[in-house]
Amino acid sequence: MQTYKAPLRDMRFVLHEMLEADQLSKLPGYEDATADTIDAIMEEGAKFCEDKLLPLNRIGDEEGCTYENGVVRTPSGFKQAYDDFVGAGWQSISSDPKYGGQGLPALLNFVIEEMVCSTNLAFGVYPLLSRGAAALIETHASDTLKDTYLPHLTDGSWSGTMCLTESHCGTDLGLIRKKAVPGDNGAYRISGSKMFITGGEHDLADNIIHLVLAKLPDAPDGVRGISLFLVPKVNVKADGELGPRNGVSCGSIEKKMGIHGSATCVLNFDDAEGYLIGEAHKGLRCMFTMMNGARLGVGMQGLALGETAYQSATAYAKERRSGKSLARGADSGEKADPIIVHPDVRNMLLTARAYNEGTRALAYWTALKLDISTKHPDAEVRRDADELVQLMTPIIKAFLTDRGFEAANLAVQVHGGHGYIAEHGMEQLVRDARIAQLYEGTNGIQALDLVGRKLGMKTGRLLRHFFHPATAFVEAHQEDEALKDLVLPLAKALGKLQQATLVIAQKGLGDPEEAAAVATDYLKMFGLVAIGYMWLLMAEKAAKKANGNADGDARYYANKMKTARFYMYKLLPESASLFLRIMTGKTAMAQFDEDDF
Amino acid sequence: MAINKVAVIGAGLMGSGIAAHVANAGHDVVLLDIVPDGAKKRSELAMNAVERMLKTEPAAFMEKRTAKRITCGNIEDDLKLLADADWIVEAVIEKRDIKQAIYRLIDGVRKDGSIVSSNTSTTPCRDLMDGMDESFQRDFLITHFFNPPRYMRLLEIVAGGNTRADAITAVSEFADIKLGKGVVDCKDTPGFIANRIGTFWIQAAVVEAFKGTVTVEQADAAIGRALGIPKTGIFGLMDLVGIDLMPLVSKSLYDTVPENDAYRALYGEPELIVKMIAEGSIGRKGKGGFYRLNKDSGKPVKEVIDLATGNYSKALRLTPDSVRAAKSSPRKLFEHGDAASAFAWQVMSSTLCYAADLIPEIADTVVAADDAMKLGYAWKSGPFEMIDKIGAEWFAERLKAENRDVPALVALAAEKGGFYRTEQGRLQYLSTDGSYVTIERPAGVLLLSDVKRASKPILRNGSASLWDIGDGVACLEFHSKMNAIDPETLKLIGQSVAAVGKGYKALVLHNEGSNYSVGVNLGLALFAINVGAWPMMEDMIKQGQDAFKALKFAPFPVVGAPSGMALGGGCESLLHCDAVQAHAESYIGLVEVGVGLIPGWGGCKELLVRGLTGKSRGILGGGAMPVISKLFQTIGLAKVSRSAAQAFDMGYLRDSDRVTANRDRLLADAKARALELAEGYHAPEPQEIKLPGKSARVALMMAVRGLAKTRKATPHDLTVVDQLGIVLTGGKTDTTDAVSEDDLSALERQALITLSRDPLTMARMEHMLETGKPLRN
Repeated sequence: MQTYKAPLRDMRFVLHEMLEADQLSKLPGYEDATADTIDAIMEEGAKFCEDKLLPLNRIGDEEGCTYENGVVRTPSGFKQAYDDFVGAGWQSISSDPKYGGQGLPALLNFVIEEMVCSTNLAFGVYPLLSRGAAALIETHASDTLKDTYLPHLTDGSWSGTMCLTESHCGTDLGLIRKKAVPGDNGAYRISGSKMFITGGEHDLADNIIHLVLAKLPDAPDGVRGISLFLVPKVNVKADGELGPRNGVSCGSIEKKMGIHGSATCVLNFDDAEGYLIGEAHKGLRCMFTMMNGARLGVGMQGLALGETAYQSATAYAKERRSGKSLARGADSGEKADPIIVHPDVRNMLLTARAYNEGTRALAYWTALKLDISTKHPDAEVRRDADELVQLMTPIIKAFLTDRGFEAANLAVQVHGGHGYIAEHGMEQLVRDARIAQLYEGTNGIQALDLVGRKLGMKTGRLLRHFFHPATAFVEAHQEDEALKDLVLPLAKALGKLQQATLVIAQKGLGDPEEAAAVATDYLKMFGLVAIGYMWLLMAEKAAKKANGNADGDARYYANKMKTARFYMYKLLPESASLFLRIMTGKTAMAQFDEDDF
Repeated sequence: MAINKVAVIGAGLMGSGIAAHVANAGHDVVLLDIVPDGAKKRSELAMNAVERMLKTEPAAFMEKRTAKRITCGNIEDDLKLLADADWIVEAVIEKRDIKQAIYRLIDGVRKDGSIVSSNTSTTPCRDLMDGMDESFQRDFLITHFFNPPRYMRLLEIVAGGNTRADAITAVSEFADIKLGKGVVDCKDTPGFIANRIGTFWIQAAVVEAFKGTVTVEQADAAIGRALGIPKTGIFGLMDLVGIDLMPLVSKSLYDTVPENDAYRALYGEPELIVKMIAEGSIGRKGKGGFYRLNKDSGKPVKEVIDLATGNYSKALRLTPDSVRAAKSSPRKLFEHGDAASAFAWQVMSSTLCYAADLIPEIADTVVAADDAMKLGYAWKSGPFEMIDKIGAEWFAERLKAENRDVPALVALAAEKGGFYRTEQGRLQYLSTDGSYVTIERPAGVLLLSDVKRASKPILRNGSASLWDIGDGVACLEFHSKMNAIDPETLKLIGQSVAAVGKGYKALVLHNEGSNYSVGVNLGLALFAINVGAWPMMEDMIKQGQDAFKALKFAPFPVVGAPSGMALGGGCESLLHCDAVQAHAESYIGLVEVGVGLIPGWGGCKELLVRGLTGKSRGILGGGAMPVISKLFQTIGLAKVSRSAAQAFDMGYLRDSDRVTANRDRLLADAKARALELAEGYHAPEPQEIKLPGKSARVALMMAVRGLAKTRKATPHDLTVVDQLGIVLTGGKTDTTDAVSEDDLSALERQALITLSRDPLTMARMEHMLETGKPLRN
């Protein structure tokens, strides 16, 4: 059975103790974001997700979406849940108050998103897409478009999509064929087909706002010639009321591995009316500004499923009896002990847990910087925060979704054969988790983004925002009795990461393929070290409170320290083997000709 | 005969520039002009010219005091000053009767055997000599300098029918060895070589661009870097030299070239250009030209003219697809087929054909034409080298495909396989009779490129190589981007010291890049800083110190032979040499402070040791404090010499160091010096010096704080020079302690690491990398 209680204690620890997130309430516009408010909203969010979304998760998986004559129906209960969700304001936590949003930090929204996706990923992608579309419109569209569309996207009465992929091109958007031609009144006429459009058609909202990449007739070749258009499913009249249907229709929905409750559509545009967002030919640049937020969101999905997997597997491991504990010996009095006594099972559970807690810290840390990057009064502080977010985005997207998938897989393993059958819901987690490694740019693309773009940007200045605080922390705590045994392994791994970074940068200048060949290894190594740094930051806080009696909160802190140790000694060392792989470069791969395959 | 004293008649831009450059070469020179109407001082034209040259940039004089070598006068009162001149250069207005009148004046006073030359760019020698005495004709030739005379390397020499051979030799040798010029012998034909081809080229581009298929920006992007032509292109070049000069040059060429010359069909003057000249839009010296800076909105905006309308709009700075695709391959540019590509092909193919048709009319060999365009127009490859780069066969085929005439010489090259080839390690050119002729370098010229053509390196990696340049001397060449020094360079220095120690007598540091070295690879250093790899940073600093120390204490002499910029680490490499043979145009300096650092590869150490052991006139003073103060200023202000001559004053060169005027002779001179030192060579002993320590540092900083109060120094300047002060005063020492060279190295390392960790230093480095300019934070 999928078991989930929102890990509120851990969330509060990261937010309040590690990150001191109430610093956000000192930023202009975030005055309401006090610790108390944040806690209250989190508790309400937890209730909503546990009570309303979790029960629908299996139903959604089994029923899936259905398609008939261009109409898509979501699984039973989704429409009601969606109405409750937007009705309670969960859609608009961090939206602009100007358009009816609550104006709370993006960080808080990420926390809620984690809970939503932990309990029902297929449901969670609908509001996620709407928020992405709204963010893009808010940053780049004209005031008229903003005034017409943002209030509805904010209150959830309308939803949004991103239409990038075409049947012949996904990642390589330079190949897009979809056409847009100028029409009347400054509008454009859009024609062509798009696929893999999440939430492209459904019965949850009154209108669907598609953000579409297409090419104008005079567009230059390649990625420099793509424009961005807003195309509503239902045309909006001048008075703001809904008018006739626009020329957009859903041709079919995909049968897929997981997230069955989410509609993945083929959309056909037939002379549909659309409006240009931003400058002509510069649509991709607009699209990228929302990519950071969206990629962080997908990273959270990995963490979210990892958490549910861990909780479910732990519950099962405490209950299921099989074999005797090697530690306790034969005289425990039981015929069989719960399987949690077995080292292999513990290792699996602790692996998932250490990654979950570590990646949560990394994701929230980055989300906090995202808020600082938009709200801080000092331009230099904003810039530095933004650069950290840019650096961490590919790592969070890829590393967290890989770890989430691994956790789901481990949860199946802990369940044994029971993990493989549908009844316990573990195989669903594996299937659902798989998509997060693919969409919003595959994890391979994230790795290329990291080594190809982020590393070299501003001669490595983005790196400074991670490496300088991390090295400073290590230097400051090398002799710290309470942390010493945790600092040492990280200091070593960090040194190797610095070395690997310099080598990749140097080699990559002469031969970009050298950098590309080790990109995935490097991203993982960076992720491992970054999580290690997060564990140090957490341990620093926990160490002070871990002493004393072993129950209640003190036990929580003591467990933090133990998990930190597990991470440093059992998980972080993988970075050493990644380092060796990176240093060998591309030769072992590049020695093959295409015909050798 | 030897030329010693020189005189120049005509104190215009060219005449005064020639006089200044003769003075740069260490010779006394007389500069005369007319007495203008209403003159306050009778020699004011010449005097004003010298005054003006002391202010203009780029500077005409290598040192300000060089101006004293010029004696100013006028042709009414001071003709007697010509009496002892060995060479008299006429650089007056381009009118034959005026020139000949001057010649008669000169002939009345000049001594027997003296040489007279004209700097004319348009008048044929035979016209100038028409009606002159035969004895004068024997001593007369044309010496055509390019503007500005100090910096442009081309000197075209044209002999008349009666000119005596030893006059040509004497002037050629003086120009080559003393003035550093690349002398190209020309025939007595209109525009000689460079301007004949160059004027055609510009005219072809103007005609083509006015057809309206490309914008001015596209035209300049097309005819630029991808072809190895300076990035000013055509229109930017006209803005630079002055659009008003163009009609004069093109008209005079039109009037003098043969009737059937291709140039005559091309000649014309677009209305827009006539209008621009009338309105004073004559380029950078006027109110803008094809480009202008519009400062209306406060911030200067670069604007560019529309050739069809004459209106200006904001420059787009877009690189055409073809230029992007071409990188530095001209053929790819021509093959691409977009508007810029078609333009480039049209202009360059006609220019290259024109050049090919002019051999042997204007020059005996393709080498002379290539040299002239490289030295006079700063093309990376001359026209025939360019055809080789494109492929002579491909070029001929394309001309044929377009139903155009293939010049006979091009057809010959296509058949033979190019204008140049390497045969047994020697460079050969294709002569007009179809045979290949080996290019012989004059005595005293040794080119590393020739060595490289003929041999394999002793050692090599991605950033540097070691070559055998003969007679037991090796040459260490930097060849990274801009010859920046990186860990690979340092590694090769270490290996070279070992290799030279085993099998050679001496080592020369030299390369043929436009700059000897711009110093440490700043990008790499900043990257390491951004990654926070402090131990690795310290290793890298140590690695540099060790490499240079190995040069200094090697058991053989090391001679540095720089040309162009030798900055930061580049300068430090020279400071560790036993001797430096510098090109006259060497710009040497420790510029680390500009990026928030201090010299850490022994720059501070070497200058201190030199100053305190009395080996450099620039920093010699009584006792430690004056030396330290002087170095504190030199390094603290990141002073860079504007010539080798200035580098002596700044202490970067020692009295024992020497200067070579001609780049092509630099390596041979350095090699000779190295062999000279190799006789009975002993490596220097490590020195110990006494430094005053903290009290002196406090004194130095007091002065700087004063500057900060008047905002002449920024807050971060204080931080940086404080670290400099620590090193220069010996850190925690006092006058009773002896400080070793290694102690100083350790101080340098410590200061450098401290500064590397400062975000304000990072900001300076980043700004320099992004804008090429120092950040004043």
